[in-house]
Amino acid sequence: MLASLQTRGAATVKMTPDEAQTLLASQRRQRPVSPHLTAYDFKQTWFSPSVWTRITGGGMTAALYVFSLSYLAAPLTGWHLESASLVAAAASLPFAAMAGLKLLVTWPFMFHLFNGTRHLVWDLAKGYNKPVIHAGNIAVWSGSLLSALGIAYFL
Amino acid sequence: MASAIRPMLLRQTALSVATRRAATVPAFAFLSRTTPFQSTIAKDASRVAAFHASSRRSLLPPGPQIIKGTINDAVPVPDPKPTHGSYHWTFERLIAAGLIPLTVAPFAAGSLNPALDATLCALLLVHSHSGFQSIIIDYIPSRSYPGAYKTSMWLLNIATVLVGIGLYEFETNDVGVTEAVKRVWNA
Amino acid sequence: MAALRSSSSRLLAAASRSSAGPSMFVRSMASVGDATVNAVPKSSSSARNKTFQIYRWNPEEPNEKPKMQSYTLDLNKTGPMILDALVRIKNEVDPTLTFRRSCREGICGSCAMNINGQNTLACLCRIPTDTSADTKVYPLPHTYVVKDLVPDLTHFYKQYKSIQPYLQRDTPAPDGREYRQSKADRKKLDGLYECILCACCSTSCPSYWWNAEEYLGPAILLQSYRWIIDSRDERTEARKAALDNSMSLYRCHTILNCTRTCPKGLNPGLAIAEIKKEMAF
Repeated sequence: MLASLQTRGAATVKMTPDEAQTLLASQRRQRPVSPHLTAYDFKQTWFSPSVWTRITGGGMTAALYVFSLSYLAAPLTGWHLESASLVAAAASLPFAAMAGLKLLVTWPFMFHLFNGTRHLVWDLAKGYNKPVIHAGNIAVWSGSLLSALGIAYFL
Repeated sequence: MASAIRPMLLRQTALSVATRRAATVPAFAFLSRTTPFQSTIAKDASRVAAFHASSRRSLLPPGPQIIKGTINDAVPVPDPKPTHGSYHWTFERLIAAGLIPLTVAPFAAGSLNPALDATLCALLLVHSHSGFQSIIIDYIPSRSYPGAYKTSMWLLNIATVLVGIGLYEFETNDVGVTEAVKRVWNA
Repeated sequence: MAALRSSSSRLLAAASRSSAGPSMFVRSMASVGDATVNAVPKSSSSARNKTFQIYRWNPEEPNEKPKMQSYTLDLNKTGPMILDALVRIKNEVDPTLTFRRSCREGICGSCAMNINGQNTLACLCRIPTDTSADTKVYPLPHTYVVKDLVPDLTHFYKQYKSIQPYLQRDTPAPDGREYRQSKADRKKLDGLYECILCACCSTSCPSYWWNAEEYLGPAILLQSYRWIIDSRDERTEARKAALDNSMSLYRCHTILNCTRTCPKGLNPGLAIAEIKKEMAF
């Protein structure tokens, strides 16, 4: 009988709206941020084509900037970055190193080209069905790898 | 990938200071009172894994939650700036769309004539610049890091101008970008 | 509320009985999936025990780090949905577990959370029947946690308010009674009006994670588009101008986590693309 009795030991404190806001603000400052990159499906965060478009683009841009700036500074520093000496340097590389370098350049380029085109199609508000998106993800990953291999070794 | 990892390391050091400060706040006293079900939870304690994936591991340290105004005040609406909004977006898409034929054509034609090669360089430069701008806006937000934001934007501007001069030199004094790539490729 | 009340009275009953003998206390508090507590011994052989790892953080111990706590339930005695499991854990194992829920049929959006890496409504998400793998339950990603699985969505609601989510027009209705709309115009709202603002899409968006203060996020932008294309609304240009800056709309980089996660099967990514297209030229 007694056991089913409901008692609540809640105490209330009278507060003005301002005090309540201040208390809430102080409680908010204690709050943790829920996990995101560590909790979210890694296929959608770390392997999203969107972020890899940014990474490949950033990488290629960095390479272009570094080369162009060094080319500009070459007369002052005495580096030889004109195309003839670059060709000579490339020719002196062992086959494996050259092949690796070619793939390192081609894959980001193909990935950025493929997914960039896909983004341009998306910007026309087309291709937003979930099956289409899924098929496109697979196509971009495999297509960029295969075409990069093809271009790096057969062209 | 690297761009994601670097801020992670930075933040680890920054937040270790913040956590040490937070640890000095006294715990609420009434929690010492044992409740009937705390014993059950204590039994589970061995199954409770230490969990580190909170604010410590976040990409950009979000800082403590601060909300301006009450729930009934809407978030302020920024003034319209089409040059940073819709015009910018359309311009970016046009540049990107223009780059597709210019990057694909050399595969078919071998290399580009000097005029098209110069166009390719110019579009690449603009495309690269706006891409880097976007990265800075996303990962170094001006509201949290106004100084770093401004510095990186200016560094980018200076770099882009110098790169533009460098590319101009390469185009005028050398064989041009597509031809150079072709020669190195077949070396 | 009814469920809360009955469980708290059961707790009181358990507490008062515990003075009589510790065994009774254990019986009433331990997991039903536990073989020693089970009333029907034979079910222990056919029991399908599934472990749930749930994010815990208590605001009354703010210095404690958030942690993952495991609970094991027998799926034969649990309803099919994640929400059923959460309610059962709260009722029978650990009454301190805190989460939001209301309608249990996917129309209120209260029980939005991150389940096995994907944001969804706990009431619409089936418990994976594979008992060998643990199911992980987190609050919505990159939100400030009020307690356990309860995120603070104040900022999200303030952003919703900023897009003025109501019909605005100056000209009165031609027939003086109601604002009429053609069937084709009404059809444009399909796929938009169903949004329940559960925040699953917004909190799945990495761009919203990094720039939630200024970027509106997929849910709010979908709602904004719902008013932009409403044929009865006359503030279309003002609505578009409010988005025409670098942060509010254009932090969307078409990552499309939003479309993939929406528990109502809507397409926030497409809605954002339509806004960008309308504003482009």
